Amino acid sequence: MDGMEFTVKAFHDFLAEGRIMGSRCRGCGAVSLPPRPVCPECGGRDLEWTELEGKGIIRAYTVIHVPLTRMKDRCPYACGVVELDAGPRISGLILGVSEGEKIEVGSRVEAEFVREGARTVLCFRPV
Amino acid sequence: MRLSRDVAIVGAGMTRFHHKIHADKTSRELFVEAALEAADSVDNGFDMRDVEALFVGNFSSDAFEHQAHTAALMADWLGLCPRAATRVEDACASSGVAVNMGALAVASGAYDVVMVGGVEKMRNLTTEEVTDTLAMAADDLYEVAAGFTFPGLYASLATAHFAKYGSSWEQLAAVAIKNHHNGALNPKAHFQSSVMETAKKLGERRGVTFNDEMEFLRSPLNPVIAYPLRLFDCCPVSDGAAVVILAAAEVAKRFTDTPVYIRGLGQASDAMSLHDRADLTTLRATRVAAEQAYKMAGVSADDIDVADVHDCFTIAEVLATEDLGFFPKGEGGKAAEEGRTALDGDKPVNPDGGLKAKGHPVGATGAAMAYEMFKQLRGEAGRHQVEGVEVGLTHNVGASGATVVVQIYGR
Repeated sequence: MDGMEFTVKAFHDFLAEGRIMGSRCRGCGAVSLPPRPVCPECGGRDLEWTELEGKGIIRAYTVIHVPLTRMKDRCPYACGVVELDAGPRISGLILGVSEGEKIEVGSRVEAEFVREGARTVLCFRPV
Repeated sequence: MRLSRDVAIVGAGMTRFHHKIHADKTSRELFVEAALEAADSVDNGFDMRDVEALFVGNFSSDAFEHQAHTAALMADWLGLCPRAATRVEDACASSGVAVNMGALAVASGAYDVVMVGGVEKMRNLTTEEVTDTLAMAADDLYEVAAGFTFPGLYASLATAHFAKYGSSWEQLAAVAIKNHHNGALNPKAHFQSSVMETAKKLGERRGVTFNDEMEFLRSPLNPVIAYPLRLFDCCPVSDGAAVVILAAAEVAKRFTDTPVYIRGLGQASDAMSLHDRADLTTLRATRVAAEQAYKMAGVSADDIDVADVHDCFTIAEVLATEDLGFFPKGEGGKAAEEGRTALDGDKPVNPDGGLKAKGHPVGATGAAMAYEMFKQLRGEAGRHQVEGVEVGLTHNVGASGATVVVQIYGR
């Protein structure tokens, strides 16, 4: 893993293995999720991979009724910003929710790695 | 940030923003219409050959019309070649940023007179295709891939705001009611009827009677687009263009006795994705850009007599009125509910109907805000004129707040 570049592809490859991997700045300790080549906090370029547990809470969410073309068949569906227990946040589909009133900001969720064609998508499900 | 010399608007024009009336036009005709109106609005007359450079805000004529390289095209169709023509793309803030770019170009001494405008022709595409295109302004790999649409991003900001401050959808509805009321007084606006008039019209067609706006807004005739936002929380998809003519202060009086001066400007960026922002109840870039503009102009939020803020969704107006410092955090919705942001309120916001009712041809919006300030500060805004305007503010947001630009105008 050492020396592997902090690319979009690497992030997705890890998702395919069921792992949520971010980058940690060796300078200031800030964790970026998804990973990045430059620390947005301090500008540091000395970074390492760090694995994050897929448990957290919903910080903001919506239920989409007018979808993107490629999401047409799923509608209505929920998506939101999830804050992992380790701190970093990430966007994801929230599975099993089709009404806004069924979840709330603060609801607990767990990661699910959903295979869609050649890609693995990071999703969350309320627990 | 400081300008080396003062810059003023000496002329302004815009097409009506609408979803149907421009069906037989393309963006070049819309831009030319706005530019010619701007030239004709100059009190002492204006020769198009006085324009030394052109700045055009445009989000995505590439996707909407299969046409890139928009600025040179507009220069060509206005007979401005071989003058420099530059396209500015910062999502929905494209022409707000273009106003800053034009002002900086004049302030630098490079040019005395520039034309700045914006245009978007969106209605060639279906609603779904427009949804796809607007989503390009968010992080395609990490937000759009997670299912977010554009309304979905602002809807999420709304849930975070509701949870933190106890604000409510009813407060958002008050923003929509107010902006439709104002739009009905603005002949350039996309929608020219109040929410109650719309409720009556739509109700009659379906044999339903609504006693008040809220009953209509809670009904299935106002469907959910992205929970908790409903149709009337969202701006429409519009075609349109707007243009202003900027001149150095020392030459401005040649064109008019009443130029409208840019007293302050600011611009800031923020993390592209909502998940990379520490606070989901504020647009940090609004606060930073506003701070720059207030400082340059030597004014504070309290001095602003009228503001055009970026209300692509009702929650966006609530966030803006808080982040610009008009009201304390968490109280923007309450202020709208209490009528404080109405035309006759103590802090009139979006007298022209805002994006919500005036419409939002995305690339044209920032320039249309400058147009509105030119009219308001000269007392020429007609039925939606705010009384006694000395200082005006415009606030134009790109996407979910990764770009924000603010201008402050004075006489």
